[in-house]
This record gives sequence, C-alpha cells and structure tokens, in this order.
Amino acid sequence: MTAVAAAPSASADRRATHFVGVILGVLLLAAYFALPFVNQPELGATGITTLTQRGNNEFELETNGLVLLPIAAAAALGLGLWTVFSPRHERVTSILIGGSGVVALAYFIIFFKAYLEAKGSSYLGSMAFGFWAMLALAVLMIAQTVLPRASTGEEFSIRRVLGNQEMILLGGLIALVTIVGISNPRYLAERNITDVLQSHAYIAVAAIGTTMVIITGNIDISIGSLVGLLAIISGRIATDTGLIWLAWLAPPVLGMVAGGVTGFLVAYMRIPSIVVTLGMLSILKGMLLIWTAGSRVVDLPEGFFLAQMRPLNIPMPVWFMVVLTILAALWMRYSGFGRSLYAVGGNKEAARLSGLSEHRIVFQVFVINGFFVGISSVLYATQLTIIQATPPPGMELTVITAAVVGGVSILGGTGTAIGATLAAILLSAIRSSMVFVNLSPFWLRAVQGLLILVTVLADLLRRRRQRV
Amino acid sequence: MRNRKFVLIMVLAMVAALFITPAVAQEEDRWDGADDLPVNPLDCPVADGEMTEDEGDEEMMEMPEYNGGVAQNAPDKAGQDIVLVDIPKLIGIGYFDATALGAQQAAEELGNVTVTTDGPTEANIDDQITFIENYLAQGVDGILFAANDPVAISPVLRRALESGVHVVGYDANSEPDAREWFVNQAEFNGIGKAMIDALAEEKGEDAAFGIVTSTFTTPNQARWIAEMWAYASKCYPEMTWLETLEAQEDSVLSFDQATVLINKYGEDLDGLFGMTSVATPSSADAVTQAGLCGEVAVIGLATPNAMKPYVESDCVKSVVLWNPIDLGYAAVYVMRAVVDGTFKPGDATVSAGRLGDLAVVNGSEVLLGPPFIFNKENINDFDF
Amino acid sequence: MALQDAPVPVTETRKPLGARVRHLLLSQEGVLFIILVVSVLFLAARTDKFLQASNLLTQGRLMVEVGLVALPMTFIIITGGIDLSVGSILGLTAIMLGVFWNNVGLPLELSVVLALGVATLAGFLNGLFIVRVGVPPLIMTLATLAFYRGLAEGISEGRSVRGYPEWFYRVGQGDFLGLPTQIWFLIIGIIISAVILSRTTFGRTLYAIGNNEVGARFSGLRVDRAKLLIYSFSGLMSGLAGWIFVSRVTTTRSDMGSGLELDVIAAVVLGGTSIFGGTGSITGTVIGMILIQLLKNGLALNGVTADATIIVIGLVLIFSILVNNFIQSRRQVE
Repeated sequence: MTAVAAAPSASADRRATHFVGVILGVLLLAAYFALPFVNQPELGATGITTLTQRGNNEFELETNGLVLLPIAAAAALGLGLWTVFSPRHERVTSILIGGSGVVALAYFIIFFKAYLEAKGSSYLGSMAFGFWAMLALAVLMIAQTVLPRASTGEEFSIRRVLGNQEMILLGGLIALVTIVGISNPRYLAERNITDVLQSHAYIAVAAIGTTMVIITGNIDISIGSLVGLLAIISGRIATDTGLIWLAWLAPPVLGMVAGGVTGFLVAYMRIPSIVVTLGMLSILKGMLLIWTAGSRVVDLPEGFFLAQMRPLNIPMPVWFMVVLTILAALWMRYSGFGRSLYAVGGNKEAARLSGLSEHRIVFQVFVINGFFVGISSVLYATQLTIIQATPPPGMELTVITAAVVGGVSILGGTGTAIGATLAAILLSAIRSSMVFVNLSPFWLRAVQGLLILVTVLADLLRRRRQRV
Repeated sequence: MRNRKFVLIMVLAMVAALFITPAVAQEEDRWDGADDLPVNPLDCPVADGEMTEDEGDEEMMEMPEYNGGVAQNAPDKAGQDIVLVDIPKLIGIGYFDATALGAQQAAEELGNVTVTTDGPTEANIDDQITFIENYLAQGVDGILFAANDPVAISPVLRRALESGVHVVGYDANSEPDAREWFVNQAEFNGIGKAMIDALAEEKGEDAAFGIVTSTFTTPNQARWIAEMWAYASKCYPEMTWLETLEAQEDSVLSFDQATVLINKYGEDLDGLFGMTSVATPSSADAVTQAGLCGEVAVIGLATPNAMKPYVESDCVKSVVLWNPIDLGYAAVYVMRAVVDGTFKPGDATVSAGRLGDLAVVNGSEVLLGPPFIFNKENINDFDF
Repeated sequence: MALQDAPVPVTETRKPLGARVRHLLLSQEGVLFIILVVSVLFLAARTDKFLQASNLLTQGRLMVEVGLVALPMTFIIITGGIDLSVGSILGLTAIMLGVFWNNVGLPLELSVVLALGVATLAGFLNGLFIVRVGVPPLIMTLATLAFYRGLAEGISEGRSVRGYPEWFYRVGQGDFLGLPTQIWFLIIGIIISAVILSRTTFGRTLYAIGNNEVGARFSGLRVDRAKLLIYSFSGLMSGLAGWIFVSRVTTTRSDMGSGLELDVIAAVVLGGTSIFGGTGSITGTVIGMILIQLLKNGLALNGVTADATIIVIGLVLIFSILVNNFIQSRRQVE
C-alpha cells in the first residue's frame, strides 16, 4: 500500500513496484499473526487469530486452522522476492501475485458467507481490525498487478525502496509496537491499538493539508486556533439548530473560507505565509474567546458525535484518516494539480515557465488546507461530550511535526500524505508507549524531540546516499 | 564525504540517547506529580460515620498571626464606588468563567463595585504579570487574582500593595505577604480526604487508582496529590497509586491520557482521579467510551454542568468541588470589606453576603467551607 | 522556505534633502515608524495613563526578554533561517541556573555563567546541525523546541527553584541610572547588533547569505562560520533573557518562555525583516517590538480586554506588512 504511492516523484521505478508483492506478503502475514481478527471470541467466532486475555498479564494467541490465507500471503511474498531478483519473469510473477490476492479474497468471501449463515447480518460489527486490514491488503495485491505503472530511467536500488521515508516510518512504528508489546502485552490489545490509531486521527487529517501547504514552500501555524473556533461553531450549530448535518458540514466550508482569506493574502498580496498565519492565529483565537466568553458547549444532541461512531467496528476517525489519506495521496500523485504542487515547491521558475500559475496554486492549496482543517475540527469536536472553548494547545506544532517527520520539505518540493499520516500515528504511538514502558513522563518531550531529529537525519542520510 | 560520517555518528549517538534516556530516567525515583512540601492529612473517618465535621478544629492551636501584606497609604474609599479587576489564571475555561460570574453577582448585590475579568489566554506566568502591570498603570482600587505561580506573581503584587492597591487572591495563592487575604476554596487536606474517601467508598479500601492532572508544575494540583497520597497512606494503606499523567488544561489530551491509563492497567485499575475541571469530564468520557462504567470509578474536581451526563448515567458517583461561583463571589465581598475597613488583620470571620460569615484560617486566609460533593441527588440543583 | 523574490535593497546615493526625507519616510522602517507614532498618539489621546513615565518604564522592563531574543532572530531571519527553539532555550537556561545553584551547590554567579554557557551551547548545536548536516533551520529548531524543553522538564522534574538571594533580583527588578536595569542590557544589545549588521563585513555576509547563499559561498564569504555564530548568539541571548526573566519573577520553572518564539518572530517580521531573507534591519525590529508592546499596553489601558487585543495585534501584523508591501512595490515602480 505504502510503496504504491510512496515515491514523491510523479513516476516510480518499474521494478521497484515489485517490492509491493514482498511488502504486501509480509504485511498480510503480520496481520495474520499479530492482529486480532474477530472481536468477540466468546461468540465462538473463530477467525484467524484471536488474542484472549487470561488473567493479569497472560495472553493467549489462538490461531485457527484456516491455512488458505497464510499460503496466499506466503505465495505473494515468494513471488515478490522472485520478481525482485529475477525481473525477467515479472509479467508472470505479478499475475501470480494478483492470483494470490484473488485466493485471499476468495477466503474472505467464504468467511463472509459462513458467518452470514451462522450469525446473521450483525456479524459485520464483530470483525476486528485484522480482518479489515487483511481484506484491504488482498485487494491491493490484486490492484498492484492491474494498475498501470509509470516508469522512469532511474537506477533501481534496494536501498531506495527500503530507505523510503514511509518505509522508515512504518518500520519504526512496527518496531516500536513490537518492543513495547513484548514488554507489556496489553499494548497489543485491540482496544489500545485502536486508541493509538484513533487519538491522532484528527492530527493526521490536518497534517495532510499541512503537507500540501509545506510542499508549496509555505506554512500554516494557525491550525490550532482555527480548529478551536470551527469546533465551537459546529457545536453551537448542533445545540442551537439541531441540524446535525449542518453542524458537520459547516466546519469544512468555513475552513475553506478561512483558508481562502489566508491564501488570498499569501498568494495575491504576497505576504509571507508565516506572517499571515501568525496574524490569523491571534485573530481566530481572539474571536473564539470573545464569542464563547469562555463557556464550553455542553448538552450536545445525541447524533452529533461523529467521531464516536464505529461503522464496521472501526472508529470513524480512523475511517476518515485512512480514506482521506489514500484519496489525497492518489490525488497528489496522479492529478495535474497534485503534480503542480511539487513543481511550485521544487522549482518556481521552472513551474512558471511551464505555464503554471503559482498564485492560483498557492491560493488553492490554502483553501484545500482549510477543508482538511475543517474535517479535522469535526473529528475533534465530536470526540467528547463537551467542546472546550480554548484552542487545542500546541496542535499546530504537532501537525507540523507530523508533516515534517512524514518526509515533507526536507529539501523542498517533496512529501506525501501517507508519510504525514504515518508520522501522526507514530507520534501517538510514542506518546502512549512511553506510559506503557514506565518512562518518567518528564522526559517525554525530550524523547519526542530526539525522535524528530533522528527521523530527519535518517532521511538526510538516505538522500545523501542516493546522490552519491 | 566527511559530512556523511558526521551525520552517521550523530544518528547513532541520538539513537543511543533514545535508549539511554529512558533507562536513566527510570532509575530515578518515580515522582508522580505531588510536591514536596510538608503534608497534613486529616483524621481517618470513624466507623459508622460518627465523625463530626468540626473534630479537626479542636486540635487547632491558637489563631496564627496575620501574615498577609498591607496596602500602603491606600485611599479611604469606604462606602464609595470602587473599580476592581479580576485576573484569573487564564480566560476561556469553564471554571474561571464561573468565578467571574460569581464576582459579577457580588458586584451587582453590593451596587458600589465594578469588576472586570481579564487575563491571559493561556496559563502563562509572564502574561499574567503583564496583565497586572497594565491594570496597575490603568489605576484600579483592587486586584483579585488566581496565581499561575505563587512565587513569580509575588513581586508585582507587592508593588501593587506598595502603591496602595488592595490585593485579594482566590483559587491559587501567592506568597502570603504579597497579598492581603486569600480566599481559600477548601483546604488542601480537605480535598485530599474527600477524594480518597469517595474512592474508598466506591471501590473499597484496597483500590488502585490513576491520576490525570494538568501539569506537574501546577501548584494546587501538586498540593492536592500530595495530600491525597498522605491521607491514603495514613488511612487506607492497602490503596495503590498506579500513575499520574499530565494533560495540560486540554480536554482531548485528558481523554487520551485517561484512555492510556485504562488500556495500560486493564482490570487492575479501579479508579481515576481528575485533578482539574477539564480532566475529570474527559476521564469520565474515556471510561464511558471504553464501556467500563462501574468497573472504573471516576472521581474528581469538576463543575456540575460538565458532569451531569455521567452522573445521570451512573458512570460517575461523586464529583468533588467547591462552588466556583461562590468563590468569585466571596473574593469580591472580602475585597469590599477590606476597602471599607470592616475586615482587618486579627479578625476571625468576615461576612460574605449570601454565604454568611466565613472563617479565617492560617493567618490570612478566608476559608470558603468544606469541599462540596455533587452526586445524582443534588447535581441538578446547580447550573454552572 | 520559499524562494520568493526579495525586494532589492535600494542603493544609497546622494540626493536632495526632500528626496532623502521622502526616501527615509517611505522605507520599511519609516512606514513602520509612522504607524507607531499614529498608534501611540491615538492611544495616548484616550487615556492619560499611557504616556506616564512609570508606565513606559514598566513596559520597557516587560519588553526586554522578547527584545533581547529578537536581535539575533533578526540576524537569523535575514539569512533566510529561523530559530523556533528560543523559548525552550530560555526555559532550559532558567532550569540550569536553578539546578547549578540549588542542586549542585555552585555559587550563584558561577551558575549564571554556566547557564549562559549551556544556552550558547544549545544555540551552537542548532547551528552545527544546520551547517554541517544541512538540516533546514525550521526543522532543526522545531526538533530542539521539543528537545530543549524536554530537557528542562526532565532535569527539573517539574520542581521549581526559589529563594534566591536579594542581590540576584536587582537585574530583573532593580533600577540603574534611572532606568530598569535590564533595559540597559537591551540598549547595549541593540547598539552592538545594529553596528554589526550595518557596519561590518559580517553584517554584509548575513545579507549576502539571505539573498543568495550559493553566490555568497562562491564569492568567498565564510557562510558556515557566520551561521554558526548567529545561532550561537541566538542561544546566548535567549540564555540572557532567561537569566533576566528568572531574576524578574524570582523563581524558575520548566515552562518558562513557552510561546516566546512567536512573539519574537512577530516583532521581527513586523519590523520589516523579510522571512525569505536578504532584507531587514535592527531599527525595524526595535520599532516592531515597541509597537507590539505599546499596542498591548495601550489597548489594555483603554479598557480593551485580552481577547480583543490579540485580534488587533493579528490585524496590525498582517496590515502593516500589506501596507509596506504596497508602498515598497510602488517605490520600485518609480
């Protein structure tokens, strides 16, 4: 999944894509063993893997005898490796990888049918992450053979694929979760994994917009104030009018308006974005305080809590995060507008010569950023039963950190939505894992700072290598 | 390339630091958000609730000397209109919204007092000092404050006293000589006792609890935690204090931290304490969303309005708090009495409108009363 | 950051007096100065408390920490860099000062010197990574913003150090020759920085780096050394501000100086220093920081509350840059 949209350049190395097979195979196997598959083992829903807790610190991993899936995964892994090392048969192998995906998918269909009969249609709600993760991987395995591939003349290198920022982040994330999970198995409990993913979903969504802004060489430090204001507006609409859809819709729309103002000042009035957003930070925060006079929004109507909904047993924020990330990644990579972002950030002169209107792109990118901030503030507002009247402290820094750690702007004109989202998840995982390993909370921020440095340095090192 | 080697070394050094820092940090004594000032736990509850409210008072020695400051050459404004400014820790949170409301109520009742509430938008010591300086320059008759830091705020308050401006604190104290009176919402050991007793009642005397606080540097919270633990060690030696986490004054972060505690300790966790009016509703939300109502007790300092949904759903049995409206109200009455000269050092009580007479404790503190416990029966009687 | 075209510095040539006055008034600093005078007059007209000496001196005292840090920040922004870690360095210095004195038991004088050393080292580390490794300044200092604050929290374990001897408070609370002591630090700092920036090769190197770093390197300027120096200087000044701050508020806490970076950057960019590098001056920065401080104070004295004040500050920030951009582009057309 990651490698497909990973390389920020508009085209990816042809052979590099075959790593997808390897990666998907590994992930599928990992999901098979590590992720709880069915949510309610007491229902007798014998899925693939269930993690049941027996007493205090004892956990039991129950693996069902269904072998179809690991075989498919192993096949994909083997075929992927084969393609990497002997690229002559790539067409055949990639078809076979797709075939493994079909096998995996077939398993899911059988699984579905069996449970439909056994448990009725409510069973969908009991499916846990592992199930959906593996389903998605199976679909991707098929997709990677079918989707057209871009090709470049770049020299293929194993380092390049493995040294990709997204790969570093994903590796770091997996390593962290594994290490912490070994020291305290409760970390791997499904609820905790869900919470780790969920708690920074609103950060991740905002980080997608910030990534785009930073790619064009700008910055937005007013995110926190805007989220605070939009969240209160959303809550007020819900309590005053009862129109919940309006309460959900208003933040993205108003966010785009606010982004439009910022974008206009930056793009057409030529005021540096840091100045505009520094000003907006004060203005929006002041408006928030004057308007609310310090009172929180309470007594929100029943159906308002979007972020607390769990369709298919996955929290809504995670849906938003995943879907928006994938859409943004595809859009940034394949649409003309997406490519022009990189062009503006990478080489303004070249962008101008090739007929791109820098002003318009910068303006638009701020409007889009406003949209993502708006979505983020809906998730933020609907998470708790009250909405606080102060902006989330330090949110802009967390968001910018996520974007930066996600690989944006190291050398300008680079970065992806996937990287930003992974980084946001990583930050959330670090925060909770430090509690789980009993690290003195005083050192939390020091470790976070070090981590940003390590990520950035690793990225620089990688880029140096590539150039040499 | 020499730089590449340099980078590589730096990366390695930092990765090493990443692993060493936690190791070093773990070796040090765990410290969980309590300060290191002397504690004074109250007596344990006597069986069958025979405990009388005033038992502690008998032990109290003679009234300590007045140790507050004096406003020098303050103009005599007894009975005249006065202009006050109220500078809370920060504006924009429900708690100080309520104290400001109380101050306005008192001003309305008195008729000859004007109060403006203004303060920093973040609980920042420097900003708060700037606000006081500005109002000193503007010329006010009295300053009401809730200090972000007891020491940092003192120099500017002393300057206010020197220039004849009356100074009365509430909620969070300064150094005693930097203000005349401090309206104490509840004594620290009283809060500590109320919180721990509530947990013991709900979850038994061997309960294990976690704490969600604002920051480890916030003096009030650190004091409460210290008193809670002192009282728990004295009266319920079987209780286990699992961990304290910081959550600023941010509801989403409080929610996340409470969730982390729930996930980390699983069924070992019996109760969560919220140390701020932001942390408590968020902790209750975390317990509710985790589907652990009844399994994990939530006890804490909070305003009733934010807690109503949880109290009504039986997820939270008791909320400990003084009435912040009364606190702001009392502060204005104390200030009025000081200006009028009806409340002087050495007095044992002060009259505070609808609250009746309030007692003076610790030399120069006015005690609002014992902490109030909100529960399902009475919570709907309050609206703040 | 972005490579937007920086306004070309107008070359100084002999012109008739009228043109020179006009030139001065319409320069970045001139326009800002006019805005400053207008707002001061406006605010003073509505309350007589505003222009009182005691009020202005107090404001001067409160302004020093931001002012001291704004000086190296001007240098850094002129080179096209940024330093977000200044607030955290301030907090770290305060904590180190307290720890050296209280926990290690060193004499207070030595503790101050050592804490300033730590601050300089912190700035130097920023510079080292930016120069030797090539980490973009925004990212480097974003990381150390978290890291240095984390160190301060970790070392202090959330405890504050109090009870300094009386003489220690003279820097932050005392007066010297009729002015608050710390204002002298600021005045000396301003003079030195202004001279360095406008009268020395080093100053010209900074502008050259901001306008075209590669070009500066090729023309033999010691770019790396200059950058290392300004980031170390930034650390030192943040440390100095930390010392003064501790002396003023009589206690150390690990959260001291949080958010300082935004105030400082606001003062610098309001003073006409382009965030893209290459232009700016100490005069502008000084006017910028005075303008912000007096606006906050004057609005408060006029009965405007904090929430409305920050809106005004935000608007002033955007509009002053807008007006300046407009005037400067008109001038270029001329």
